[in-house]
Order: sequence, then structure tokens, then C-alpha cells
Amino acid sequence: MSATTGSTAAPMAGTAQPAAGERRRQTLWSKAAWKFRRDRAGMVGLAVVLAYFVAALGVWTGVWATGWADVAGGKWEPVSAEHWFGTNLIGQDIFQRSVYSIKTAFEVGLVVAVLSTLLGAMLGAMAGFFSGRISDELILWLMGVLDSIPFYLLVAAIAFALEGNPYAMHVAMISTFWITTGRLVRGEVIKLKNLEFVEAAHAIGVSEYVIILRHIIPNTFHILLVQSTITFVAAIKSEVILSFLGLGVKDGMSWGLMISESTFEVLAGFFNNFLAASVLMFGLVMAFNMFSDALQDALDPRKVS
Amino acid sequence: MEVLQYSLRKLVAGIPLILGVTFVSFLLMVYFGPDQTYELLGKNPTPEQIAEIRHQLGYDKPFLVRYADYLRELATLDFGHSNSTGEKVSALLGRTIPVSLMLILPGFLLGNLIAIVLALVAANYRSGWVDKSIMGFSVIGMSISYLIVIIAFQVIFSSSYGLGIFPVRGWNVHSLADYVDYIAVPTMATVFVALGYNTRFYRSVIVEELTRDHVRTARAFGVPPAKLLYRNVLKNAMIPIITRIVFSIPLIVISGALLVESYFGIPGVGKVTFDAITTGDQPVLKAVVGLTAVMFVLAQLLTDILYRAVDPRVSLK
Repeated sequence: MSATTGSTAAPMAGTAQPAAGERRRQTLWSKAAWKFRRDRAGMVGLAVVLAYFVAALGVWTGVWATGWADVAGGKWEPVSAEHWFGTNLIGQDIFQRSVYSIKTAFEVGLVVAVLSTLLGAMLGAMAGFFSGRISDELILWLMGVLDSIPFYLLVAAIAFALEGNPYAMHVAMISTFWITTGRLVRGEVIKLKNLEFVEAAHAIGVSEYVIILRHIIPNTFHILLVQSTITFVAAIKSEVILSFLGLGVKDGMSWGLMISESTFEVLAGFFNNFLAASVLMFGLVMAFNMFSDALQDALDPRKVS
Repeated sequence: MEVLQYSLRKLVAGIPLILGVTFVSFLLMVYFGPDQTYELLGKNPTPEQIAEIRHQLGYDKPFLVRYADYLRELATLDFGHSNSTGEKVSALLGRTIPVSLMLILPGFLLGNLIAIVLALVAANYRSGWVDKSIMGFSVIGMSISYLIVIIAFQVIFSSSYGLGIFPVRGWNVHSLADYVDYIAVPTMATVFVALGYNTRFYRSVIVEELTRDHVRTARAFGVPPAKLLYRNVLKNAMIPIITRIVFSIPLIVISGALLVESYFGIPGVGKVTFDAITTGDQPVLKAVVGLTAVMFVLAQLLTDILYRAVDPRVSLK
């Protein structure tokens, strides 16, 4: 089933018609929003994500965590009023570093989620709309090829091919993360393109690309929304592992860099760096997962939970 | 006979995929990859020496010739010798792939088996407290990074700050007891992380099957719950389960447990491959990437044949 957009929404077959005049006209989007608002876990998740986003905005505008790179104390100082989470090996404030990393996480997550969703939507819609033709075969082949290269090897290879460019990590993630979105969109578009509204558009002579852009892609928007939240989480989690392997964030600070810094500290009995990064990261990822689940429940009428 | 014909057809159809994977990775890893010329040369090399090394490494040949050479190597499974260590690539892989398999298989099997059992239990008590706690646990498992789990488990089980019962790192396996000792912590970490994603996936597959009419009918006829879950639900849910399991096999064998291996210093194929990328050891890279692609095609074939085995309605056409 597709979510129809805006004021042109027609009631779908099978949904209960509200009695005339009793309720305001309902669109599928407003129904989804209503369902989402009743999902307590989802609302909590959204609130936590927004709180993290405010923290990231604060870093970005230079309100706080400006001293993340300053040496402000001694080696491995314990928790104190001055250094909330203590200091690291060379005396940098761990609290400021972990807060600064929130900004990095949002940067990586947003860039990767937005671009890979766009790419997945475009290529998926093309493949689905021209299914069975050569462009579909090509896009499917490309998906299969990129799927068959082990992810970490692909990232390492792209990092070397781009000669240490700080965006190598983003490029590698986008080039693999669009595939799942692309496959889902392709499946949905194959269903959509045989519906009457597409036939009608064909009949009045709308060009194929305009049909894809104006009539097909908007109807896959619910998939794109959910997929972009899933991609966001995947990007944050991959960043941590890639930074540990030395392929991730190049300049600045991130949770992955903090955790890889901490790998030898934990064996020496100093846990502040590790705990600060892991707990903050866990909070954001967990909240985003809860938000994403609630979004799926609200937007997918077929999902049985 | 039918299966054989089908397999051959499928293998031929897999050729474009193998060509694509080898081409993309060749372009990235070999053509744009690190240049080893100056690492193999002494100080102040003469232009003749440089040319000779480049000739040895094959850098002076045109791109397509080098790619064709690679395809021939892949077809004959003869990748020559590693540039870094001089070891024969086939010997290197023969030494490291078993280590990776021994390291990963227990965690992989347990991670899937336990997840299927948990998913069955959760689906059986759907929306009750059992289901909610299992799914809550699974969201937590999904939200913790693999790396964090590895570090935390190492501290808890191996370090002097925790229980200190397993070796901190390394791979010094001579007996079964050693083996269990060395894989215990990596396996626990792998299972912990795998349970999050797997349980959730399997539960949604099983719940979907549970809502089918045939299950309702069986229930109305008084089939006991355990038998119902096994015979009517699990067997019918096998297709997505098989797909998920079989398609993770190539990545396990080849890219192995790169993270676990590099964290615990275990000489498996994942670590060897990663080192090969960073040093530009092309013969090793070519072998690993080529074999992964071939294994993906084989995995596709295997899933199709297994589909047929679990569901007689699927035809191999």
C-alpha cells in the first residue's frame, strides 16, 4: 500500500471511512502521525534524539565543547567538578571530547543517510519503473556487485584510492548503504507503476521521468523515511569500527577515535574514555532505533508486530 | 539431473557478477591502490632499477592486460606469491582461512540457533511480557557497537580488573582446551551482537507465518503449540531464514572476523587481507576478492537448491 500525499489523498480501499462531518478529513500521513504520537517508546526516542541534536547544534555554533583539543589537566585525572568525566592520557577533557563527538556523529549520520537515501530512491525507482529492461538489469547488477565486496575491504580500498581524503569513509558508506533502500524502492515501484494514477499520467502524455519524479517517488516516501533512519544508525555504528581500524574520521574527534584511544587504557585500568564514548553513543543509537521502530509501525499498514 | 542442469545455468549466469566484482575491486585496490615500487627498492635507485621493479610488479603493462592476467589467475586459482612475505598466496590462504573458520563458526552457529529459539518463544508469547523482554534485549543488542562489546567483554572476562579467566589476546592453539580458551571471549561477543539483529529478523518472519490461515486451522484442530511452531511455522518460514544464513557465509569465510582478528591479534584471513590492502600486497588482494565473488555466486546457487529442498513448490527453472 502506498501513502498518498497531501490534499489529493483519496481514501484507500479497506480503510474505514469516517462518518461525514464527524471528523476532519484524514490523510494517511495524519493517521500515521496520530499513531506515532501514541507510541510511547517512539516519542521518548524522538525526544532523546532531539536533545542530542541540540547538543550537536551547540557544538556546531561554538556554544560549548570548544576546548575539546586543549590540554587542560594532568594524565588520567579522575572525575571532578572541573573535568566532569576526567581527563585522558595527555590531559584533554573527556567530557568536552565526548560532547564534541555528538556533532561528528550527526555529521556522518546525516550526510550518509541523506545521500544514500537519495541515491537509493533514484536508482531504485529507475530500476523498478523500467523493470525487465536493460537499465534495470544494469542497476541490479551494480547492486549485486557492490553487495559482494566485503564492506571493510571496500572502505579500505576507497580510502586508499582517494588518497586519505577525509570523506573516503562517507563515500564508501554511501556506495553500499543505498543498496537496501534501492531494492525496497524498486519492489514498491514495480507495484505502483501498474496502478491507475500512473496509467492516467501516461494517458495524458506526461513524460516518463516526470512520472517517476512527481508521481512515483513521492509515493515511496514512507519507505525512504524509515530507511534513512536505519541508515543513520548504521553510519554512526560503522564510523566507530572504521575509526578503530584507522579508516574513519581524519580530523576532529569522534566516539570511534575515543574508543580506539581507550583500547589500551582499559587494560591499564582507566575506563573514563571508554565509558564516556560508549554510553553517549549507546544512548543516541538506542533512541534512534526506538524512533525508527515507531516510525515503521506508524507508516507500514501491513506490518504485524 | 535437473539440479545439475540448473546449477550449470546458474553458474554461467553468475559470470557477469564475478566480472563486475573483480573489475571494481581491481580498479580500486590494484590500479588506485598503494604503489609498492619504492618499498622494494634500496636507497638512491637508478631509473633502470625502478623500471625493473615496476616490470616485476607488472605496473608497466596497460590496465586491460593486467586485468586479463588477473582473470586468468582466478580461473587457474594460481595467484603467485605475496609481495610482502614471499609466501605462496595459496599457502597463505590455506593457513589463515581455517583459523578464521575455527574462530567464527561457533559464534555464527550459536548466534543463529539461539536467535531462532528466542524468536520462536517471543512469537509464541506475542505481545506478552516474555515477548517484550526478548525484544527489548534485542534492541539493546542492536544499539551497542560490536567494538564496545568486544572491549567490555575483554575487560570483564580476560583482564585483571574483571574475572581474568581467559587469555587477553593472541592465538596459541595446540589442544581443544586452548581452542576453547582462545575463542571464548570473541565468541561471546559475536553471539551477543548477532542475537540483537537475528532475533528481531527471525521473529518478524515467524510472526508473519503465525498469522496465516493454515496455522489458525492447525490450532483449531488442537495441534500442541510446540509441534505447531516446529511443523507449521518454522518449516514454512525456512526460506527467508536460509537466505539470511547462506548469504552471510561468503563474508564469514573471506573477510572473516576482521574486527575480532585485529583486536585479539588472531592470524586469520580477515587480518591478512586488511594488511594486504594497507601495504598494497596485490596478489593476496586479488585472490581474496576473486574468491569472495565466486563464493557469492555459489551461495546464490545453494540458496536456490535449498529453497527447493524445503519447499517442493519452488521449481528450478
